[in-house]
Amino acid sequence: MILLLAVILPVLAALAIVIGGRKAPPARGRNWLLAGAVCHLLLCLMTLRLGKSWTILTIHDQEWLALDRFSSTILLLTSALFLWVAIHCRFWLKAEKQLLEINQAEPGASAHGRLLPEWIFLPCLLAFLAAMTLAICASNLGLMWVAIEATTLVSAPLICFHRSAAALEAMWKYLLICSVGIGLALLGTFFVALADESHFGLNLAILAGRAEALDARWCKAAFILILAGYGTKMGLAPFHTWLPDAHSEAPGPVSALLSAALLNCSFLGILRFTQFMPESLHDFCKTLLLALGFLSLATAAFFIIRQHDFKRMLAYSSVEHMGLLALLWGCGMRDLTMQTATLWHLIGHSLLKMVLFLVAGNILLAYGTRSVTAVKGMFSSTTRNAFLFIAAVLLVCGTPPSPLFVTELLLVCQLGPWGGGAVLLLLFLVCAGMLSTVLKMCMGTSTRFANETRPARLAEELFAVPAVVLMLAILFGGAVCFWLTRMNVWW
Amino acid sequence: MNGLIEILLLLFLLSSFLLTCSSRMLHCIRLVAAQGLLLGLLPLAVARFEHKGFSTGIVLLALINIVVKGGILPYLLRRSMQKADVRRELEPLLGYGASSLLALVMIGASFWFSRQFDGAINPVSRLVAPVAFSSILIGLFLIIARRKALTQVLGFLTFENGIALFGAGMMLEHGAIIELGILLDVFVLVFVMGIAVFQISREFQHIDADRLNSLRDYPKENTAE
Repeated sequence: MILLLAVILPVLAALAIVIGGRKAPPARGRNWLLAGAVCHLLLCLMTLRLGKSWTILTIHDQEWLALDRFSSTILLLTSALFLWVAIHCRFWLKAEKQLLEINQAEPGASAHGRLLPEWIFLPCLLAFLAAMTLAICASNLGLMWVAIEATTLVSAPLICFHRSAAALEAMWKYLLICSVGIGLALLGTFFVALADESHFGLNLAILAGRAEALDARWCKAAFILILAGYGTKMGLAPFHTWLPDAHSEAPGPVSALLSAALLNCSFLGILRFTQFMPESLHDFCKTLLLALGFLSLATAAFFIIRQHDFKRMLAYSSVEHMGLLALLWGCGMRDLTMQTATLWHLIGHSLLKMVLFLVAGNILLAYGTRSVTAVKGMFSSTTRNAFLFIAAVLLVCGTPPSPLFVTELLLVCQLGPWGGGAVLLLLFLVCAGMLSTVLKMCMGTSTRFANETRPARLAEELFAVPAVVLMLAILFGGAVCFWLTRMNVWW
Repeated sequence: MNGLIEILLLLFLLSSFLLTCSSRMLHCIRLVAAQGLLLGLLPLAVARFEHKGFSTGIVLLALINIVVKGGILPYLLRRSMQKADVRRELEPLLGYGASSLLALVMIGASFWFSRQFDGAINPVSRLVAPVAFSSILIGLFLIIARRKALTQVLGFLTFENGIALFGAGMMLEHGAIIELGILLDVFVLVFVMGIAVFQISREFQHIDADRLNSLRDYPKENTAE
């Protein structure tokens, strides 16, 4: 019941904003957003305390919504991330409006400053939260598919917040590529239904119990399609082409949500399917996951070096970490420590990527460009954002207090000398590429703020939420290190 | 042999094939509408020949299917076609003769490929798998080989219809909630895509998707650096 409420409440809040319409004062919509996010987080916290009967929704003896170890963690994470974004949005939207006024006051201002109206933007954000919640909680493969497709649809308008030609192009690619990919996943879901000769439906719990009775050939075909389908949405390498475009064109908070929350949902989709594969297919699944994981890492390393656009660089870093998740899960499908490591990696990546994209949004606000060569002297002009950016980049590359350090170390130990060596080399390349770009952005002197310092000041005022999330990520990393030392899994 | 189902399936195949050789946008939209109609009729035909009788659930779902896929979606597409002011797909990346030849090859490949499924499953008709796979392939082909954004939407719908046909023809029953959910998703998708097509035509003065290529990793103006 609680899960159903968690899905419905954001939708109700979204409706409230839409009914308010375009005439309502902007603060009211932002308040609804915040209220929806807070209530959602409270409901998710309640699921931790309440017993099973509250967190499972059954209709006609069929389980529709349920939580397990993975989904409850991801649900809580998503909800918390959304609340932070909602708080950030409250101030960020105001800053965007002010920036628009500044730009229009300048002589020779063009029409390039059109924004999506808030009474469309905010409801889409809330509906996005609802769709993600449904995708995480669904314990029926069909329902999960419906929810994941819904996340694509409601997040597409969000990418177009700055209504430019480039944003439209990114949105079109996102819609088309992801929909085709997810269509393949639907075909894969049908194949799973065919694999089960008794036709008990697509319920996860039932399928997991009947894993050995499933037809291995159909399961094999299904897994390939699912990996291609949900892999597209997750951003695994050969299917990642929409990701850098969408993440670079979307405004900061939206890219933060796309990267930190949405990719996890699609990963959960792939994870679900590995849970009921028959024993004979485990090696097959592992090989595929490892191959795509390595390919993603290599692609990311290749494109991050000498990347000209700092948001694209972060997007490729997301591709890299999705590849690492695929590697971790490929190694640890049946290994409890590695499963936990996968979850840690996912949490750590989400927290850090949220910081990075929010700060990148601030930098974009201040400088008005995403080009690495045009952004210079961040230390002197936007000091707080520069420090946050450098710290978060160091952490996301796996520098020790980060939780990613621990999980990447576990992964390298698990993969043996050749695989581990390759992963280390690629990680080093990614780290070198990102750091050289970021240092270039931070050093030097900028001429941009010689006579107009207001954009920089606006960006400086938006540092609070990323700073808090960064602290949390560091604390989480410390906790992971401490816990592993106590469990004595180090060597 | 239950002729009605086979006739429906063959008509479905014919409509997907005709999509590859027609240049008039309105004609293509009508073909996709016909596909939606056939797709809605199929479960009714199956229920009639299995002598299960028509339960209200099946009839309602079929009706909703027909209304959405045969009525509302084509209406939305026509509206965005008129707004974006495109009548024809004049210069496809692959000519119409070559397209239809390739479509024949894809249909043949689907029939060959589907022979491997014989015996593994029992669909309502042996034609289901090949027709569904041909539609999926033709849909993907249209997305790749046509320029106009609107034709790509039509290609996606053909692709989706093929998958839905596979589900319906294999008699997979996964509950009304999921059926309705899938339908709702497709509906919203076409709605959003229709708006996007309109916006693109206003912003770029064209809807050629192959010219949407300004976003790239190493832009041209940056090479001097």
